[in-house]
Amino acid sequence: MDNQTANSIVGFMMVPLGLLGLLLAARAVDVEIEIFGYGLVIFAFLFGFSTIKRVYDYRDAARAIAHKEAGHG
Amino acid sequence: MANVTTGSAPVTYNEEVVRKFIIAAIFWAVVAFAVGCYLAAELTWPELNLGYSFTNFGRLRPVHTSGAIFAFGGSMLFGTSMYVVQRTCQVRLWGGSALANFIFWAFQFFIVMAALSYVLGFTEGREYAEPEWHLDLWLTMIWVLYAIVYIGTIIMRKEPHIYVANWFYLAFILTVAVLHLGNNMAVPVSFFGAKSYSLFSGTQDAMVQWWYGHNAVGFFLTAGFLGMMYYFIPKAANRPVYSYRLSIFHFWSLIFLYIWAGPHHLHYTALPDWTQILGMTFSVMLWMPSWGGMINGLMTLSGAWDKLRTDPGLRFSVTAVGFYGMSTFEGPVMAIRDVNALSHYTNWTIGHVHSGALGWVAFISFGAIYYLIPVLWKRDAMYSVKLISWHYWTATLGIVFYITSMWVAGIMEGLMWRAYDAQGFLQYSFVESVVAVHPFLMIRLFGGLFFLLGALIMVYNAYKTIRGPRSAASMLPNAALAAGE
Repeated sequence: MDNQTANSIVGFMMVPLGLLGLLLAARAVDVEIEIFGYGLVIFAFLFGFSTIKRVYDYRDAARAIAHKEAGHG
Repeated sequence: MANVTTGSAPVTYNEEVVRKFIIAAIFWAVVAFAVGCYLAAELTWPELNLGYSFTNFGRLRPVHTSGAIFAFGGSMLFGTSMYVVQRTCQVRLWGGSALANFIFWAFQFFIVMAALSYVLGFTEGREYAEPEWHLDLWLTMIWVLYAIVYIGTIIMRKEPHIYVANWFYLAFILTVAVLHLGNNMAVPVSFFGAKSYSLFSGTQDAMVQWWYGHNAVGFFLTAGFLGMMYYFIPKAANRPVYSYRLSIFHFWSLIFLYIWAGPHHLHYTALPDWTQILGMTFSVMLWMPSWGGMINGLMTLSGAWDKLRTDPGLRFSVTAVGFYGMSTFEGPVMAIRDVNALSHYTNWTIGHVHSGALGWVAFISFGAIYYLIPVLWKRDAMYSVKLISWHYWTATLGIVFYITSMWVAGIMEGLMWRAYDAQGFLQYSFVESVVAVHPFLMIRLFGGLFFLLGALIMVYNAYKTIRGPRSAASMLPNAALAAGE
């Protein structure tokens, strides 16, 4: 599996995980599930955005290398 | 990331995830050891429970055990297995860096959530498997993804042979999956509540619990770390494995025998006698593969024993194998019913567990950490070899204080509890045995503090190494592996 596909699959996985976290936090009958639910939301949010950042960092790095190889650097 | 040319296209290994796991392992080691020391102090001076529910021994104990076994040990196993499988298969980790990254962060999330859940008082009450059902499901997801990445990498390998370390890691991954699913079969009261009830009850529940509990020792704390031994000792000593045939024999006999030994945790209980005898017999038979593995690990040093004088990292690994031999001798002895009648429920068991956990698991991990840090961060060597030596001696001294005090305390407790006077009454009340072991509990705390001090020395050494300059070889094009491969 190439990096691009992996990034997409893992990135999109954060949507159902985050929603599940919201559902658990909203309907929790005890503090444990409430904390877990909010934790899941925060985890999905941070991990999702860090995945997007990684994709753009990777593209920037690839562009910089290509630029250097073309003799502009 | 390191590049290596294998005859065809160059391979870029995913070292980022390995680096993260190693840092996490060091962090969790300090946390687990510190909590352990606090608990040892609570047992010595119960006032330190402080009267709060969340500082109570019962709630903090699983923080210590899960912290040591799963957070520290687990991070080491994830990290080293992902390193070893790439190097020995000559391919990059399958599944892309995002998936490996997800496994890392999801596992750290699990650890934090489990620790929070313990201090809040939510537990299934199953030893070494305390998290409630929702966290069990989360861990199952991580484990399935981990197995997919690991097996996927092996399937894509460019090397025809699967090196024996991978066999041990595979046994660890697959068996822990089966154990986790079997032991955690529970029915939640509500989808939105943490409370659940085990599918099993009574004796069956106890049997399932210890089938899991003992095999967590066998497959998490033994098989996985043997994978580490079979890769890092030959690499650090720069020698081949003493006998590859013995390593295969070690593997198959160990995994066949270990799975039956669980009932020895339930001697003289409601468990049928034949099951207890079965567990005892298989435990005694376990001597054979355990010592076969120990001999294989030690004899790998043949012709390279002099390195122990100059490489304290390797000294950690070799001492770990010595402790492996010692605790796998002690374990079967304690599994014999007549010995168990004396040792069970005493501090001897605690001493035995820690000779394995500190002497084997932690020491083999420290050896791997000292090997990996310069390789992963492209440094010539660790910042200070002398500090590794200091770590080695403080930790060794700590273990010696710990296990000897627990042996003495345990045997004394066992003898006091079974002593009768001339009239046939028990000679000692329980509280008298508690008072008698008090000095030994203080010595145990002292030993634990030594071990913690050693870990803090390692943290400083690792920090200075990582912050130090890169090796000259790693600056050269296509020489990224020069630091150790």
